[in-house]
Amino acid sequence: MDQRKQTRTVTVANHAGLHARAALLIAKLAREHDVALAVVKDSQGAEASSMIQMLSLGAKQGDEIVLEASGPRAEEALNALERLFAEKFYEEDEDAESRG
Amino acid sequence: MHKFEGIAVSPGVAVGEALVMGNEGFRIPRRFVTRDSVEYELERLDKAIKDASAEIARSRDAVLKEMGEKYAAIFEAHLQMLQDARFRSDIEEMIAQRHYSPEYAVSRKVRECAQIFQKVQSRNLGDIFDIEKQLLRKLLGRRREELSKLRSPVLILAHNLTPSETAHLDRRFVRGFATEVGGPGSHTAIVAAGMAIPAVVGTGIFLTEVSGGDLVIIDGDKGLVILRPDEETIAHYRHEAKEHRHLAARLEMLRDLPAETSDGVRIELLGNIEFPYEVDDCVARGADGVGLYRTEFLYLGQEQEPDEEDHFQAYLRVIQTMGDRPVTIRTFDLGADKVPHLPEPEDERNPALGLRSIRLSLRNLPMFRKQLRAILRASVQGDVRIMFPLISTLLELRQAKMILTDVMEDLTEHKIPLNAKVPVGMMVEVPSVVMMIDHFVEEVDFLSIGTNDLIQYTLAVDRNNKEVVWLYNASEPAVLKLIELTIRSAARKAVPVNLCGQMSGSPTYTMLLLGMGLRQLGVPPSVIPEIKKICRSVTIDQCEEVARHALTLEHARDVTSYLRGELKKRVPELGP
Repeated sequence: MDQRKQTRTVTVANHAGLHARAALLIAKLAREHDVALAVVKDSQGAEASSMIQMLSLGAKQGDEIVLEASGPRAEEALNALERLFAEKFYEEDEDAESRG
Repeated sequence: MHKFEGIAVSPGVAVGEALVMGNEGFRIPRRFVTRDSVEYELERLDKAIKDASAEIARSRDAVLKEMGEKYAAIFEAHLQMLQDARFRSDIEEMIAQRHYSPEYAVSRKVRECAQIFQKVQSRNLGDIFDIEKQLLRKLLGRRREELSKLRSPVLILAHNLTPSETAHLDRRFVRGFATEVGGPGSHTAIVAAGMAIPAVVGTGIFLTEVSGGDLVIIDGDKGLVILRPDEETIAHYRHEAKEHRHLAARLEMLRDLPAETSDGVRIELLGNIEFPYEVDDCVARGADGVGLYRTEFLYLGQEQEPDEEDHFQAYLRVIQTMGDRPVTIRTFDLGADKVPHLPEPEDERNPALGLRSIRLSLRNLPMFRKQLRAILRASVQGDVRIMFPLISTLLELRQAKMILTDVMEDLTEHKIPLNAKVPVGMMVEVPSVVMMIDHFVEEVDFLSIGTNDLIQYTLAVDRNNKEVVWLYNASEPAVLKLIELTIRSAARKAVPVNLCGQMSGSPTYTMLLLGMGLRQLGVPPSVIPEIKKICRSVTIDQCEEVARHALTLEHARDVTSYLRGELKKRVPELGP
């Protein structure tokens, strides 16, 4: 087992859920930090490098998912990802818009 | 094996290769490749993925420059999907191990992904189909076969089939239809009945589970679509199909015999047609004439309104083929939404109740007059009759007739020959007409009961709405009473009346209709042999008894089971 594997639990906060664009951003962050990243929802895992696997998770707004990163910069990567999730993938808040 | 239940709209069974109509109707040419060509096919796949990726990357870059990252992202996502290692390796495995063709393997893999995406309600479901389309485009290249160039028998599976899609099918090779949506009155039903092939509609979503080239079964008797059938099921249906063919051959032998009851009463069996070429079917089946020549095809799928010559040629084709047998031409029976050159009305939330058919014609006189001119010019070429659809009031009928008279005067002034005594009739499909039928019979030369719409309007049910389609039933006593009232009133004035809805082509109702007094039936040419067989197997007394009893029943289902029982008694080979 890779001792450098670290995990973080995050919540999908954006309206659209873990769709293609979000998956792209996640994959990009993982590449930039040179880590192998797996995204797990309810014990179903997906490699961040596989768009199809990521989309197959069908993670929706409110779902809790576990990020598993391996590599020397694992912790750094997870911090960045945590921020990405918290910022709702920088998407416009559709809920706020419709209330406007 | 997976069975899907839908509405059976055209009888018979078919076993064969599926042609799945995607967004562009891609056809998967073959399923398997030889062992020797596996290397070559893998290379083809590789090239297709490279080419498609390059094209997507170009699009991405162009969009990135012009519109920014947000819009370019979707291309990037497509690219990622295309480059997905597992996606590719699964496809390669299917080619290498199972000898699937790259097209079939791509299609299978995409279906598999699509099923998952659909289950998790991913908003990117459409994207995986896009990938499929792009890959298939690269793989098939210019060899992309169109529906008009089929080369082997297929069963067509689609979400829905529109008139313009079916207009160009190579009908020699189509063996059945199955659509996810639709109801008994849908276009698919009408075309299938016209082609005498099985069809099932309204099954709900099943296209994600089937790929072009798969073996499927369409059971138009029970309303089933069967994917990945097991050996036993395949054998069963192949046997059924053979039985059907034998029956058809036996009925074929009746071709030159008259449709006459066994006590010598002659019944006129007229063909309903949607396209001119169907007149050849009418002749082949021994029809006594064309009872309903639907003219909508002239307007559908065309950018411009047909001109008078287009109309005239279309009518001439049918009239000349029928020789001295009658041809009844029905004027335009669609809504404005189907006619590209007319503005769409603003308030059309209820198209069935809206600006369509005769109402549209009366609102659009140049278009109406054009059609009438062509029909009148054609009226000297044979036994031509004119019929107005969807008449709902006497005023409407009188207005239509006035326009006709005006056009006749116009032609006469210009010395263009026409039949001044051309018989003019109308469809009985709106209940208001039946309530005033005693008045209407004074003003027409014939009547045609259009049960397809009459049932809808009487029971207030949309025959394309699967939530309520169970209410749409020709056996409803209310419908039968309206038909009976019409026939009786027409008989009092010796006005000929026929029935031209799907009901008249259904063996279940033949005895009832004859017993109620009908002596003319308008049916799709393909069922003429069956209806003829029934006519030849019964006496009018028997039919009248059947009608008498049926009209006492209160529930549609009692009517249907009674009629089926009677049919089975008299004509066992056509019974259920």
